[in-house]
Amino acid sequence: MDRELLIEIGCEEIPASWLPGLTAQIAKHVDARLKEARLTSDAPAEAYSTPRRLTTRVIRVAERQTDLEDLVTGPPVSAAYMPGGEPTPAAVGFAKKYGVEVSALERSDTPKGQYLAYRLRQRGKATVDVLADVMAGVLRDMSFPKQMRWDAYLEDGKGDLLFGRPIRWLLLLYGGRVVPFVIRRTELAQGPTVQDIRSGPNTYGHRFQTTSGRAGRAIKVKTFDDYQTRLLENFVILNRTEREQKIRRELETHARRLSGRVSASIAAQSALLQEVPDLVEYPSVVAGHIPIEFLSLPEEVLTTTMIHHQHYFPVVDDEGKLKPAFLAVINMEAEKPEIIARNSERVLTARLRDARFFWEEDRKTRLESRVERLSTILFHKKLGSYREKVDRISTLAEWIAGDALRTPDAAPMAAQAARLAKADLATDMVRELTELQGTMGGIYAREEKLPESVWKAIYYHYLPIGVEAEAPPSRQQLGSAAVTWTAVSLADKLDSVVGMFAAGERPTGSRDPLGLRRQAQGIVKILADLPELTGLDVRLKLGSLLERAAQPFGADADGMSAVGSFMADRLTYLLEQRGFDVRSVRAVLHADIVETSPLEARRKLEALSQMAGSPSLLGVATLLKRVKNISKGVAAPASNPNGMLTEPAEKALVAALATSAPAIRAAAERNDYREAFASVAALQPTVAKFFDDVLVMAEDERLRAARVGLVATMRDLILEIADISEIVAE
Amino acid sequence: MTFQDLILKLSSFWASHGCLLQQPLDLEVGAGTSHPETLFRVLGPKPWSVAYVQPSRRPDDGRFGQNPNRLFKHHQYQVILKPSPDEVQQLYLESLEACGINPRVHDIRFEEDNWESPTLGAWGIGWQVMLDGMEITQFTYFQQVGGMDLAPISCEITYGLERIAMFLQRCDNVFDLEWGGGVKYAEVRLQEEIEQSKYAFGQVEGLPPAEFAQWHRELFDRNFSLGEKLLASNLILPALEQCLKCSHLFNILDSSGSIGVTERTAYILRVRQLAIRVARAHVEAENLDTGQGA
Repeated sequence: MDRELLIEIGCEEIPASWLPGLTAQIAKHVDARLKEARLTSDAPAEAYSTPRRLTTRVIRVAERQTDLEDLVTGPPVSAAYMPGGEPTPAAVGFAKKYGVEVSALERSDTPKGQYLAYRLRQRGKATVDVLADVMAGVLRDMSFPKQMRWDAYLEDGKGDLLFGRPIRWLLLLYGGRVVPFVIRRTELAQGPTVQDIRSGPNTYGHRFQTTSGRAGRAIKVKTFDDYQTRLLENFVILNRTEREQKIRRELETHARRLSGRVSASIAAQSALLQEVPDLVEYPSVVAGHIPIEFLSLPEEVLTTTMIHHQHYFPVVDDEGKLKPAFLAVINMEAEKPEIIARNSERVLTARLRDARFFWEEDRKTRLESRVERLSTILFHKKLGSYREKVDRISTLAEWIAGDALRTPDAAPMAAQAARLAKADLATDMVRELTELQGTMGGIYAREEKLPESVWKAIYYHYLPIGVEAEAPPSRQQLGSAAVTWTAVSLADKLDSVVGMFAAGERPTGSRDPLGLRRQAQGIVKILADLPELTGLDVRLKLGSLLERAAQPFGADADGMSAVGSFMADRLTYLLEQRGFDVRSVRAVLHADIVETSPLEARRKLEALSQMAGSPSLLGVATLLKRVKNISKGVAAPASNPNGMLTEPAEKALVAALATSAPAIRAAAERNDYREAFASVAALQPTVAKFFDDVLVMAEDERLRAARVGLVATMRDLILEIADISEIVAE
Repeated sequence: MTFQDLILKLSSFWASHGCLLQQPLDLEVGAGTSHPETLFRVLGPKPWSVAYVQPSRRPDDGRFGQNPNRLFKHHQYQVILKPSPDEVQQLYLESLEACGINPRVHDIRFEEDNWESPTLGAWGIGWQVMLDGMEITQFTYFQQVGGMDLAPISCEITYGLERIAMFLQRCDNVFDLEWGGGVKYAEVRLQEEIEQSKYAFGQVEGLPPAEFAQWHRELFDRNFSLGEKLLASNLILPALEQCLKCSHLFNILDSSGSIGVTERTAYILRVRQLAIRVARAHVEAENLDTGQGA
């Protein structure tokens, strides 16, 4: 009979941001370890978590391991018998090893011939006897963003058991009975206050609350349903979704009572709503008030203080304006919520009072006079201070606006915005509320009455964060700062990416502490969406930007090619994230990345996806593959030796290319890639006929050269647009 | 509960749970962790439990006595439990109850906050404890000190005394706290805050910024050299004291805006190297095996 497996690893508070990942991990590891132990289950493991527990249950796990059957091969039959038919010592020895007669052995046919073999049958052990190994395996499998030593080890011979936080209890039940398991404590630590953790039938509820008995006592359970019910009685909502729903519900109710609502954009952008369910076991919401005098602070300061520093939700009115109130998610059903609300108000007020002090003090010094102070703030040990960085990005931004984007009028303002972009790092407000870097600089610039094209360029220059087309800022948000912002944002990111590569700080695997991937994505996102963001239709190539950004660092060719392929990866990522077909993305990015314009690549993909499934385009694509093979290493001739090409199919192809080439190029020039690809597709019958009728690899050397040359001409023409041979499925 | 009653409560609580009551380190330090009762005791295998108040100087936080929440010098109540007992969180919560904080009425949370001190070559894993949204304690399981792995693991509990007292007295300005016997915190400490802040930010008459910086650089160098000499003759505790003095002088140089970026990194590195050498010397002297064969 199959029985339920229930595991709860009781921990001290696990960081909220880890919980979603750990929950997925524990289910995965349990399934893998059960499978490895030959324990079958008819449904995958379910997993749950709260800050103090990682729980998993498998509804039905077989009561025994599946039997093991293995055919063990012995000596070859040819060496097993003597001429008289008597078994050789090798055969006897093999049989003896398994305690049987030679006559009981089987014969196994292998590619190397026939061998004697013994069929090893091992009856599966009872599940309860195997689960301890499964448990040990799962504990070893768990990985954490940061793990700690806590004087614990397992008896599996692998030594210390590192974990995310100390384990305080272990609920381990199979079919309602405890599976014995022990986490040992090291000799140095063990004593009256430090003891082994032995598996048991107990869980623990909320630290402080319970409906009956004493809070925090052991609660004995038998089944998962029982477990979940008893936890709820003891103020633990096991299911994360239920916690989140309770939070949403109560936030709404409280906001309505304040005749406002929780700003949807605030809730979405801050990820606060994603985080709070993992900070609590039994959430409820209390409402507090903000003294009205603080509403004169910039809204960004208020919301950042609330969201990032206190995990409080701001409340807005129907027009989206902040109300003098906040909502706090607490980890209990408070008897007197007003006490917690008052205390929370005091904490928030103290922070806001600080913020107001900074707001008043900071504005006494102009941003410009803070630029010098940036020499005391390190950007990177090999790349110098922020003072040096703003010099670099100011020059670069001026060049991008003036030369690359061809908007010389915007260049001086782009340079000024770039020069001031990091000045807020030297303000008290940003030293305290680091999340506001950029934003705060923009606000102070606005207060100084600098033009919109300057202050907004500073305000938004850390954006974009996402790669999707609608990732902020929008053109509407940017207003008259669209071009200056583009220049500053690009300059800052290009300088970081190229500079960090020059300094040897390349992201590897999951390690990207400086966030270079995101910055590189920001670069390609701006370039790909340039017309939508700025109204400028400029196809900027990555190469010219990277080269210009690299000037102050004297980056070598190797370094630049590493940056190039890094940028290519990020561009591929962006395009794939936007839903373009992987093969099509390869097709449009076939050229050297420095010659690539992200905007052009995007437009080609949009055209290609419109033509998806066009049989003639696919036909040309398939033939292009052949063409590339035939013409490998052959340069297209300056002009076709027409005299040699006399076959009708040849002449037809020559003529078709002659008319298509200008059409394709003209279409590409005016960004009509659909037309360009259509022209390529239109070549299909002519090309197909050519390959049907003409033998390219002719005997005659001159004829062959002429035909290969013709094919190479066609190849180059198509590759000007995209390597469409990539779109053919393998 | 007055400020001094709070200290008494915590002391009697932890004494009753087996802690030695120590006294503050009589030097200028930024946190109770710098005290040899923490820094040295957590090294090696010997069990040790200790509690003490540590006045802690943070030159950068000086606000001339004008900010109701921020101080040049605040007071930490530091508890070290080695090895860390299984029930340590429960014990901590009981200590709050002993001070009159009822966890069934307030929202108490352990939120991730790991601790790291580059200058001490030390780091740990833990939380900040939040009481109705206010951080009142730093709770850390030390993992490394002086660049050496620790075994067994010690738990450090650091209470922010002013914060907790303000909470208990429902007081919005630290200077309005009752220290004891009707005497206000301001009476005891305000003048000190004003003077120390002026000093920390280099506002010294007859000592222009360049000279102020030079003076402190020289002090740093002299303390540093002395520390090295003391260490060479195996006077480890005195060497640690010089190292801590250097650390504080560096903080003053930093808060007064006397040093640039590259220099800043170099200073941190020097303090760190001396601290690590001191810690290793301590381990060798005690002939302690830390599991790293130090």
